[in-house]
Amino acid sequence: MTAPLPQDATRKYDLGFARWVHDNIDGGDKLSLCMRCGVCSGSCPIGTQMDYGPRKLFMMIRAGMKEAVLSANTMWNCTSCYRCVVRCPRAIPVAYILQDLATKAVELGYAHKEDTTRFAKAFWWSTHRFGRTDERLVTTRYYFSFGLMDGILKGLANLKIAWGMIRTGRMHIGAPKKIKNTNGLRDILAKAQEISERDSGS
Amino acid sequence: MAEETGKKKYTYYPGCSSQGSAAHLDQSLRAIAPELGIELEELDDWNCCGASVGHIAGGALPTTVLSGRNLAKAEQQGPQDILTGCAACYLNTHGTNEKIKKEVALRRKVNEALSAADLSYDADLQVRHACEVIVNDVGIDKVKDRVTNPLDGLKVAGYVGCQTVRPFANTDAGGNYDTYDDPEFLDDFVEACGAQAVDFNPKTSCCGGSVSVMSPDKTLHLIEKILAAAKEVEADVIATPCPLCQTNAEMYQDAINKKFGTDYHIPVVFYSQLMAVAFGMDGDKDAALNRNTIRSKKLEAMAKKGAK
Repeated sequence: MTAPLPQDATRKYDLGFARWVHDNIDGGDKLSLCMRCGVCSGSCPIGTQMDYGPRKLFMMIRAGMKEAVLSANTMWNCTSCYRCVVRCPRAIPVAYILQDLATKAVELGYAHKEDTTRFAKAFWWSTHRFGRTDERLVTTRYYFSFGLMDGILKGLANLKIAWGMIRTGRMHIGAPKKIKNTNGLRDILAKAQEISERDSGS
Repeated sequence: MAEETGKKKYTYYPGCSSQGSAAHLDQSLRAIAPELGIELEELDDWNCCGASVGHIAGGALPTTVLSGRNLAKAEQQGPQDILTGCAACYLNTHGTNEKIKKEVALRRKVNEALSAADLSYDADLQVRHACEVIVNDVGIDKVKDRVTNPLDGLKVAGYVGCQTVRPFANTDAGGNYDTYDDPEFLDDFVEACGAQAVDFNPKTSCCGGSVSVMSPDKTLHLIEKILAAAKEVEADVIATPCPLCQTNAEMYQDAINKKFGTDYHIPVVFYSQLMAVAFGMDGDKDAALNRNTIRSKKLEAMAKKGAK
């Protein structure tokens, strides 16, 4: 779990936010190295579709624009291509920062309707339950997270793809593949969650 | 021990896509490995690596311990390197492993969590990508030497994608096996197989990754550019090392044709499938060519001609 955000919700610019990112986001302590060159945003495959590219988002963090940052779609458009990471002249782990911002945003109650959050929940359900990703069930759960009708429509739209996968033995019929020791894995994950909560001091 | 059989042993982490969308990568990799002096011993009871979204729902530490569990299981199996063919498995497992090595406090937390199932990771293992192993341990000459059925006249667009090279290919821990923006290993593999590696500008462009799986409308244009470049240079096939690149570039061609008014029908295969054919192995049993939804008649004919 995450340390609580600075609490002055009345202010659009919360100067405690940059400190919070520095202390709580993995790689956040490197943000102060940013010199606004924009190589990250320029290298981003779908940066133009983001509300704000990484460069701008980082400046917004510095300015304390807490709500705008945590509600931004930047994190949800990151394709994890790592171009920004290898190109940043100051070696700021840009994509890693976006990933941890995404994790913390969801923990703090933001972005629950985002495609990525829905998909991540379906994904984690499979990992937690079976120890592995069952691509069929993850996709199906994701589709139906939009509601029954939407689920059916999305399923139908992808029927040809699914059939192609089944026909070529890349989507199996039957019980999910799972690890032998699912209980052991769940114990480990529960313990990790407990440690996170303990160490966030909340 | 390794020298006696002439094979070097690795702990093999196939990853979840090996049992689904990238079954043909796993199948062809297992086929060519012994031919290249690689002995693959499957990691016992391996679990998911968390891919690129696990952390969002599962949290940072729980996602880290997913890799922690695999590393601990690998430690029980011996000191040999871990090998994976999957870009995301490599990214997460290698990344976590290197992080744990550097951050003592993180290792302590991971081991505290692992103790819930009587596991612990205390070793200093290496996690390596199959392509890096072929470059650094096997060597391109050995690939060339093994070719009995050169893929003469096959024009191949080498599509490396992202996570196979970024962000580790040009690091010491990643074996310094190639560059981030203009890697050459895949073209070298293609040429070693006797095929022609065509100039392919978007070789490290992103296919949209998991965003393409969940929200294709955001990223179909990225895949379209990749297909357009392959068509422009008249490639017979696109070859890639990455499970998600293969699936995305293959399964969305209909949707792309519909959206952009194009008529793409380009086979997308794994480098390991090319090698299996070039090694004169069986087109279906070893190269798994029957597991591509867009089939390459040319490559299949070569397989038929070359297989004994």
